[in-house]
Amino acid sequence: MSEKTLAQSEKTASITANPGAESSILAEAENAAQDTLVPLFAPEGYTEETHYSSFWVGAWRRYRRNRLAMFGLVYATFIILVAVFAPMLTPYEFDKINMVTVLESPSMTHPFGTDHLGRDILTRMIFGARPMLLVGILTGLAGLAIGVPIGVLAGYLGGVFDWIVTRLIDMFSALPWYLIVLYLVMVLSPSLENLILAMIITGWVGSCRMMRGLTFSIREQDYIEAARALGIPTWRVIAFHVLPQAAPLLLWGFAAGIPNSVFAEAGLSFLGMGVRPPRPSWGQMLADSGFYWQFWPHMFIFPSVMITLSVLAFQGIADGLRKALDVSENI
Amino acid sequence: MLVYTLKRLGGILMTLVLLSLFTFTLSRVVPGGPWAQGAEIPLSEQQIQAFKEKYGLDLPVWRQYLIWLGNAATLDFGRPFTEPERTVTALIRDTLPFSALLGGIAATLAIAMGVTLGVIAAAYQESWIDSIVTSYAVVIATVPSFVMAFLMKYFLAARLRWFPSGAWGNPDDWRSVAWHLVLPVAAFALPATGGVARWTRQCIAEAMASDYVRTAYAKGLRSTGVLTRHVLRNALIPMITSFLPLYPGMMTGSLFIEAVFGLPGLGKYFVVSSTNRDYPLVLGITMFWALLIALTYFLTDVLYGVIDPRVRISERQR
Repeated sequence: MSEKTLAQSEKTASITANPGAESSILAEAENAAQDTLVPLFAPEGYTEETHYSSFWVGAWRRYRRNRLAMFGLVYATFIILVAVFAPMLTPYEFDKINMVTVLESPSMTHPFGTDHLGRDILTRMIFGARPMLLVGILTGLAGLAIGVPIGVLAGYLGGVFDWIVTRLIDMFSALPWYLIVLYLVMVLSPSLENLILAMIITGWVGSCRMMRGLTFSIREQDYIEAARALGIPTWRVIAFHVLPQAAPLLLWGFAAGIPNSVFAEAGLSFLGMGVRPPRPSWGQMLADSGFYWQFWPHMFIFPSVMITLSVLAFQGIADGLRKALDVSENI
Repeated sequence: MLVYTLKRLGGILMTLVLLSLFTFTLSRVVPGGPWAQGAEIPLSEQQIQAFKEKYGLDLPVWRQYLIWLGNAATLDFGRPFTEPERTVTALIRDTLPFSALLGGIAATLAIAMGVTLGVIAAAYQESWIDSIVTSYAVVIATVPSFVMAFLMKYFLAARLRWFPSGAWGNPDDWRSVAWHLVLPVAAFALPATGGVARWTRQCIAEAMASDYVRTAYAKGLRSTGVLTRHVLRNALIPMITSFLPLYPGMMTGSLFIEAVFGLPGLGKYFVVSSTNRDYPLVLGITMFWALLIALTYFLTDVLYGVIDPRVRISERQR
């Protein structure tokens, strides 16, 4: 017997040797039993007040502790509000050319200065939040809507369908996504709508691959076998037994796609393949400063900072969700 | 091992053919084209007809594809619409070295820096060093390379005048080239270090937390022996498989950097030919990149089989 257990047995011995202490504990227990009904097999530390929170409540508590994730949430709320109420926030128009106020440095009337066509940069920044969010959210939602059903079916059914889906996934993974998006935008002619379309065409692959892998592992579990043994139809098994298991992973997958979309929108607009002028986009504003950056740094500083801050914030949300929901990155 | 290699090779070939089918069909089926772009002088019907005949665009799509595929198998991607005096292959050969040099140096630098940071963070887990490295990795990875390029160009080139702000320099003088490459490489490599450092830290931390490492310590082995023989050997496998593809990834991804610094690489040609809708050129470059990336993945897969015996054995049993 090791020293530790010896010490423990001595401790218990000392408690039993003190009859006063024991009886007081017993009396307390009896009182408690009379007041409320104590379950027969109560877990240690159980009182009536103990609440067991659901998975999502626990996830929110874990999420709240992550500072970068909370910053991301606050930033995302702020930027969504700005994008929604954009016209109310500014007295200027984003596309009105005014040659009197060309290339002004930041001042009280133009807090972020003006660009080479005399347009207020703050106004253009505010309106530029719209395509960024639009690309992020629409691409994510449409990607889930296409990728999840295909992934679940491929993983659950297997066979020829799975083989075809795997080939498709392989095909889209053979090139970095920005090259495929660039190619698609070129073929479809550059515009914001086509950028979103191209992002969806390449974006469903991620959620599809994730769902396929997850369904493979869920399919082998006992409760699915039990459900099938009970004669529950396949669509019901998928909808009520497989999908709820995948909810945390999908939420994370949606969040993790947004920083990519922000980067894609900024990058392609920067190359002139995204948002068309006169509609503003942060990447496009950065490209506009190509001739002016050296002497009018305010033209590129603000878009640069906002693009980086947005990617950081949305990445923070995604990382926070991954930790809070405890999803594995390698599926 | 031979079966494993052949299987991988077959899968990659199939993926490439499928990708070419997808991209080729898309370029032919979607309406519009170089002649339909808002040209200053609209082309007449006869001119468009002559153009289509010259490039074989009047044939059915499947015949065009088969001809293209037959030529592409010998790495002949035709001639670009905008520069018919040079073949696509010659153009790739002329411009690839620029992208390859930029991407190769940047990837090597990113891996060297990232791995060093990751190893330090993993060695001092849960300390202030670890938290500094992890925060650095998260923040730096979110800066897009073209934003980083702009910031460096302004502060280090325009303000401090330490480095040139763009262009390739004199190609005959390696010192001039190196001098001009400092900023592009730094702007490209720095954001990439974040991901590398995070992955390295995770791989090593996972290996250190495993049972065989505890057993090795329990046997009384020295910590240096455990680290080099048990931790590093196992952590290297996932690291190599994700770091090797960084090379083709950064050679293709250099198009943003090339756009900011005005470098004459393949990425710049890709963007320019995309805006011109130069189909043969874009198709050629896309497929060439796909080939490069596929070859790297193939190499990684084979290497994976060599390093990790478990892969070979499980493949044999299947």
